[in-house]
Amino acid sequence: MLQPASTRITHLYLALTVLLVGGGCGSPPPLDKQLETLASWTATMQLAKERHGAGAITITYATQLRDRADEAFQQASTTIGQSAQTHSDSAYAAAALDSLRTAIRQLEAEIGS
Amino acid sequence: MKKWAEVALGVVTSIGGFLEVGSIATSAQGGAEFGYQLAWVLVLGTMSLAILMEMTGRLAAVSQRTYADLLRERFGYRFFLLPLVAVFVVSLLVVISEIGGVSIALQIATGIDFRWWAIPTAIVGWFLLWRGNFTIVEQGTAMLGLVAISFAVGALKLHPVWPTLGRAMLPSLPSHDRARYWYLAVSILGASISPYLYLFYSAGAIEDEWTIEHLGVNRVTAGMGNVFGGGLAIATLVTAALVLAPREIKVDRYEQIALVLATPLGRAGLVFFIMTLFITCFGATLEIVLAMAYLLAQGLGWNWSENLKPDKDARFATSYSVLILLAALPIAIGMDPLTLTNISMVATAASLPVTVIPLFVLMNDGDLLNTHVNGWPSNLALVVIALLSIVLLVAALPLQLLGGG
Repeated sequence: MLQPASTRITHLYLALTVLLVGGGCGSPPPLDKQLETLASWTATMQLAKERHGAGAITITYATQLRDRADEAFQQASTTIGQSAQTHSDSAYAAAALDSLRTAIRQLEAEIGS
Repeated sequence: MKKWAEVALGVVTSIGGFLEVGSIATSAQGGAEFGYQLAWVLVLGTMSLAILMEMTGRLAAVSQRTYADLLRERFGYRFFLLPLVAVFVVSLLVVISEIGGVSIALQIATGIDFRWWAIPTAIVGWFLLWRGNFTIVEQGTAMLGLVAISFAVGALKLHPVWPTLGRAMLPSLPSHDRARYWYLAVSILGASISPYLYLFYSAGAIEDEWTIEHLGVNRVTAGMGNVFGGGLAIATLVTAALVLAPREIKVDRYEQIALVLATPLGRAGLVFFIMTLFITCFGATLEIVLAMAYLLAQGLGWNWSENLKPDKDARFATSYSVLILLAALPIAIGMDPLTLTNISMVATAASLPVTVIPLFVLMNDGDLLNTHVNGWPSNLALVVIALLSIVLLVAALPLQLLGGG
């Protein structure tokens, strides 16, 4: 699993709680939730690009946002396939991943990294 | 004149002390996902906290004992263990989150990963507690915390739709994702009505040597301070509603929240966000660690006062020293601060009955409060808060499972 390190450790420590309350683990989030997350990070990248262009945010901060978006992208890349049940689901998933990848590249071009 | 100065100082302290990692995170999440719709929860939480603080402050000023002292004295040691353990566990989770907030602020400012900042934050905090006094801890950080007013400026610059915001002050049902809506409502209430806030306030009344003469100061501080503080939390929700919600950005990481001020206020907004997150979370770290040490010392009958030299209350000083370093460890090893914040806010909401329900008994005890016992309006308000706390206890766990993802 390519989850972000911090999230992985948090989940490890909270595993006992999850077991106690009988929460399900091991299955990826539903497709609609993953698509929402990807769209949210795509929009975050677009806003960060716009704000950096306006001189409102630093390269240091924009880079951190890029890194977090990249983590979300990596995570979704490994799990979204399991959640996609039909061809159209797969097409939506691929389009959402592609949008985020493009948005990350555009921010990288903006900040020159 | 001195009284007015005390009132002004108390109000400023409450404003600066209201916003912290929980209220910033949950208000931003609420605004990003449901627009203005959860504003009523902040109103409810602010009113409840103001009422609880007024009562615990009055209890301390009249009886000359803290709320924790009275819990142990009136209900016995065996009963006292319940709030002691519940508040202690929940407060530990919250203080870990606060150290996470400080660390994230430093990460955004420097680019150095948040994990590296946890231990230095704890050491600086410990040093201030060890060498400082109650005034420095309470008023110093709260004064600096006024930088949080930048959220109000940001919200005004974004031109909120006032009639819509006004309507959101009244409860309404969500049009989508009900579990998530109620989960965020519980989180916001947990962030607003943290037991440490009124336990710390009660201990502060004793530290500041309040008497019956201070009942007016207490009423104004608890009322106005929380109204202004709650206003800042609503401003946070409004900025998220106007910056993040239209773009369908959900807050998955703390880093995203800084955009809500960088959008209306430009580069200054980013700087104000970093300062607000750093100062308010650092101030809350000191207050919560002290509140936990107070609770232990008052419950176990140790010497305690932040105004004493550490060698005069060694067990109290040892408690806050160990606690602040212990709280830094989970962040230092990389636990995600936002996940922790959300869980700790829901746990806080669930812990409320053990400190709210006994207050009803104490506030009606004529031996303790003489003529200052609750009247029927205060009792009615406290019953409503107690019922709310029971609902939160029952709902917290299912909502964590259904809406916490």
